[in-house]
Amino acid sequence: MQPQRWFYTMPMRLRSLFRRKRVDGELDEELRDHVEQKTALYLAKGMTPEAARRKALIDLGGIEQAKENCRDQRRVAWLQDFLGDIRYGARMLRKAPGFTAVAILTLALGIGANTAIFSLVDFLLLRPVAVKNPGQLILLMSDWKNGGMDWAFSYPDFQEIRKQAEGVFSSVSALRMYQMDGLSVGGNSQPLWAVYVSGNFFSQMGLQPALGRLILPSEGRIAGADPVLVLSYDYWKSRFNDDRKVVGKSALVNGQPVTIVGVAPWGFHGLDTMEDVQGYMPLGMAAALKDLPPDFLTTRKTERFTLVARLCHGVSLGGAQSALSVIGARMSREHPKSDGWTALRVHALGPTGLFMNPAHPNPLPLASALILLLAGAVLVLACLNVANLYLVRAGIRQREMAMRAALGATRGRLARQLLTESLALAAFGCAAGIVVGLGGSRILSSIPIHTPIPLLLDFGFDWRVFAYALGAAVLTAVLVGIVPALRVARGDLNDILHEGGRTSTPGGHRLRGALVAAQVAGSLMLLVVTALFVRSLENVQHTKLGFDPSHVYNFSLDPHEAGYSRAQSLEFFQTLLDRTRALPGVESAGMALAVPMGYIGVGGSLQIPGYQSPPGGRAPSTGYNAITSQYFKTMRIPLVAGRAFLRSDSQNSQRVAVINQTMANRFWHGRDPIGKTFSFSGDPKQPIEVVGIAKNSRDSDIFTQNDNFVYLPLFQHYHEPAVTLQVRTALPFPVAAREVSGLIHTLDPAMPVFVQSMTAALNGFNGFFLFRFAAGLAGALGLLGLLLAVVGVYGVVSYAASQRTHEIGIRLALGAQPRQVRKMILGQGLVIAAIGVVAGILAAAGIAGLVGSFLVGVSPADPFSYAASAFLLAAVVLAASYIPARRAMRVDPVEALRHE
Amino acid sequence: MSKPSDLVQGTLDLLLLKILALEPLNGFAISQRLKQVSGDVLQVSDGSLYPALHKLEQEGWIRAEWRPSENNRRAKFYSLTRLGRKQLEKEAGNWQRLSAAITQVVKLKEA
Repeated sequence: MQPQRWFYTMPMRLRSLFRRKRVDGELDEELRDHVEQKTALYLAKGMTPEAARRKALIDLGGIEQAKENCRDQRRVAWLQDFLGDIRYGARMLRKAPGFTAVAILTLALGIGANTAIFSLVDFLLLRPVAVKNPGQLILLMSDWKNGGMDWAFSYPDFQEIRKQAEGVFSSVSALRMYQMDGLSVGGNSQPLWAVYVSGNFFSQMGLQPALGRLILPSEGRIAGADPVLVLSYDYWKSRFNDDRKVVGKSALVNGQPVTIVGVAPWGFHGLDTMEDVQGYMPLGMAAALKDLPPDFLTTRKTERFTLVARLCHGVSLGGAQSALSVIGARMSREHPKSDGWTALRVHALGPTGLFMNPAHPNPLPLASALILLLAGAVLVLACLNVANLYLVRAGIRQREMAMRAALGATRGRLARQLLTESLALAAFGCAAGIVVGLGGSRILSSIPIHTPIPLLLDFGFDWRVFAYALGAAVLTAVLVGIVPALRVARGDLNDILHEGGRTSTPGGHRLRGALVAAQVAGSLMLLVVTALFVRSLENVQHTKLGFDPSHVYNFSLDPHEAGYSRAQSLEFFQTLLDRTRALPGVESAGMALAVPMGYIGVGGSLQIPGYQSPPGGRAPSTGYNAITSQYFKTMRIPLVAGRAFLRSDSQNSQRVAVINQTMANRFWHGRDPIGKTFSFSGDPKQPIEVVGIAKNSRDSDIFTQNDNFVYLPLFQHYHEPAVTLQVRTALPFPVAAREVSGLIHTLDPAMPVFVQSMTAALNGFNGFFLFRFAAGLAGALGLLGLLLAVVGVYGVVSYAASQRTHEIGIRLALGAQPRQVRKMILGQGLVIAAIGVVAGILAAAGIAGLVGSFLVGVSPADPFSYAASAFLLAAVVLAASYIPARRAMRVDPVEALRHE
Repeated sequence: MSKPSDLVQGTLDLLLLKILALEPLNGFAISQRLKQVSGDVLQVSDGSLYPALHKLEQEGWIRAEWRPSENNRRAKFYSLTRLGRKQLEKEAGNWQRLSAAITQVVKLKEA
């Protein structure tokens, strides 16, 4: 329809809708006027007044009929019917407050659970990072000679790729990510999670400053130059309380003077999905970091930079890949290295940015699908519950429906009305569900993840979440309304009127029974999944860690954040260790670069004299940790041979190492490795002598076991600036935390410290966190499902029993024993439970395949999980039917017969 | 819904538009005028007249306003809108083409 027509027709439609009374009044007046004039005409022809009026009315075909025909021309009839249905539906809902409350509450729980979970999925998978056209951004990755992928490049690589790929990428920026710095302003030092960026980063992202300026394209090219800092919006808000005068302020980053020049825009948290980057500095400023050599902007050896590129307009990912393959092949030919990368790859950054290690397959889509599936099952259970209630109500309302049908309403019209009512119900459920969902997502965001890194866990509601909630509501309306609507559409008017609405049809009972059986099945499926996740968590928690986390407390600190040089740091460490060990109640104290299950993990390729890696195989590699002498004692990791480190293993003595059993057994062909040497390929001229063998333990994360592992003396191998002081003490955690933190601050009041018990650290992201999270989430959904199933079974069995009161009365009057009555009612529940359990086991077996990849140490077909869930559910269903059965047993025959 | 079964589908719209193109009239006057101009050949019942007028109004082709009528009472007068005039041209053109074609066919038969 062309817009100019709307100019004429819209006022008509609106008038028909909203001035309905007036329009109808006018129509009435017009028609009456016509009849009068026509009557006058016939009178003039000599008719009697009665005959004239009668003739006039016959000509018109009756005033009311003519009106109705006119109204049909208005084109808004369907809308008027709809509004009428809504009004009527709302009235019906108001008249049955109990039903309405239960139905809305049930739907609110179902929709709320889904909305909350979807807000999590939205955050992790859908909500784009706040930059211009994030879909064009890609991450550069590389294939390595020894196998595997990486995403770290040298600065000369960056410059060369940028130049050569000009037609493919409109820009390439280099980032030094994942860096904890100390920001000291006015003597107050606090950690700053920072990213060092090449000067073009912010223009590449298409961002404008919220305050001051961002990093300029000309900055960051020279090591140590451009000492400027841009704060993130949130950090500025929380640490500087929106102080606009912060721009231009001098501050110290790791003891180096910088000027705060601006604040990044609101909503920009860096390119990582979960990390909350707090500050940005020019890449050249990374010169101050202790782990980079001074020539890091010119050497190809320092491969520490992440490269982010923006595709040119019209260039596809595939096109970029073919161009990069050529560039990569040329570059690796021109700069051959013993262990460099050999090929370049493009990797779409994805709408939500980087998530964990891009070289590994992303588990999120599958996990999200699974969790949405489980939540969807809860919603379906809620819908089944409400549909059941609705069927009961439909039974009560059968007379009403029959009456309306007798008065001329078509079946389609009645079905439409029922659907509209369920839509109204779903709308209320949706509104309440959003409130529940907001609460749920707040709980989800507040789950503590034990990490010193600032994380962004903001599962706020955006339009996607609202759209999802709305979609869930529509689905709900259809699921809830379709069954009663179909029954009305199919029902035989005559039957219903003859039945007199006294008892409902056996078909109704069967249908309700089937719905409840489906509920039991769905609930069982959820329970089985919950059981599997709980069993998996149990297995993980009882993993032999190989160390003893109890009574160990961790104090993470980073002297470089306080501006210490390398020598000063080492001196500080030694003093701190000595003083800590002297504290009363301290059993032992060690220091380590990395804490098990923590974020920091380091490793390298090995060169072992006399060992040849199998042809085609990758060079042997190992993870390592740098520790001090009492580490093994503190963590209670037993040595099986040799010795631990001594104070004499210093910077100036022979490099030594303790290796784990796996490594000891792998590389020396059964000979004793103690006294043998190996080296890291990054530093091949520095032989390291094996002095001890430690028992295997889960040193890096909970997933890895029996891998090579090397311990190096911290005082010989201090590159990474942050360390953790680990203290074993019988003192309770708060006391120990206060004592040791106090000690650290008497040594240096400006030293930032992150305190955590080792048992809490086990719950970190690389530890139990995901397992606990999965078990908790599945548990919540399983519980919800169980609750809904109980309500459903109870409702149906007790309704059926109440419908049979008359029959039970007769049975009792004829001499049936109350126990037989109880058996009869219980039997019904039992049949429902049996059918539901069988169907549920099949459903669980179906979904278990999807769950399997997230389980540790438990098979998706774990018989215990199935049996326990089925048993629990059967018991609960029986309990729910027992109450109505007892009530039926106590029916007074006289009362029951009078009831009719 | 009412259908003028005794008229070629759609011609009632054309007739009403044409009549209203001459001068604004109220419903009763339209019915009289219809009878007058077409003799008794085109029978339009009062019952189908008003829904048809309603439909034209909903389409935006005619516009109604309340004016005092001859007997000094309020009556609803219909007049053509700009859109209605276009529609009249279109339908009149269609009708002429159709009737010309039919006349051709009828003549053909006679020959």
